[in-house]
Amino acid sequence: MACAGQSTVSANLVSVFFVAGGIVAVGAFAAGWRRDAAAAVATIPLMFAGAGIAFAGVARFAAAGGSHLVGQELAVLLAITALALVALGLGIAGREATR
Amino acid sequence: MDSLHAIGFYVSSAVLLIGGLGVALLPGRPLRGAALALSGVGLAGIYVSLSAAFAAAVALICYLACAFMVAGPQYRSVETAVSPLWRQLGALGAAALLAVLAYSAFRGDFVHASYSVGPFAARAVASLMLAHDVLATEAVAVLTVVAIAGATAAWRVRDRAR
Repeated sequence: MACAGQSTVSANLVSVFFVAGGIVAVGAFAAGWRRDAAAAVATIPLMFAGAGIAFAGVARFAAAGGSHLVGQELAVLLAITALALVALGLGIAGREATR
Repeated sequence: MDSLHAIGFYVSSAVLLIGGLGVALLPGRPLRGAALALSGVGLAGIYVSLSAAFAAAVALICYLACAFMVAGPQYRSVETAVSPLWRQLGALGAAALLAVLAYSAFRGDFVHASYSVGPFAARAVASLMLAHDVLATEAVAVLTVVAIAGATAAWRVRDRAR
């Protein structure tokens, strides 16, 4: 049953940018807050996630017609890069911990 | 964006931000790994609500792998030589960055953009990555191979040093 004044929930490009900026700021906050360098490495995926959300959002909300896949492609590449950097960072941190 | 996608977007954003704050604030590597896995679930939900399902699948796998490495037994903590004052200044700078981004998001005059729901499009994304932008894909592949080889070498050196 519909009632008067009913409003639909919606998200737009500003919401996507806000979430992307927020997660980048949370990642930067965690990297600065943690005393442990290995724990700070774990914040790299958070900052890359913010960048990926912004790319995917811009590609999805693009005004021109057609399929917008570049943002999705960059999001995929950023996720793989984050995994590689975490592996390398934790490996180097583990080596430094033994010295 | 219809209501179902919008609700999914906001719920996934909340999950992602809660997971990110958990990575920043929770003690112990198992809890931080769980928080990173939670943030990966939230990121995948955001990608799905933005009709980027292929990116969601890849991101979920990569972030679960990151969480496994952070929570795994190979993890060793390294104390940094940076003074607490500089670290707290960096954290305050990140908080200022969030405030500036929030202000620009609310006061900025963005163009009104239309939302178009897309298909899964794994084949189209694959052709884009392997044909059109093959150089970027190869660069990421080289980076991944070098990083995994470097991490393996570092872990082997550490095991020999014991």
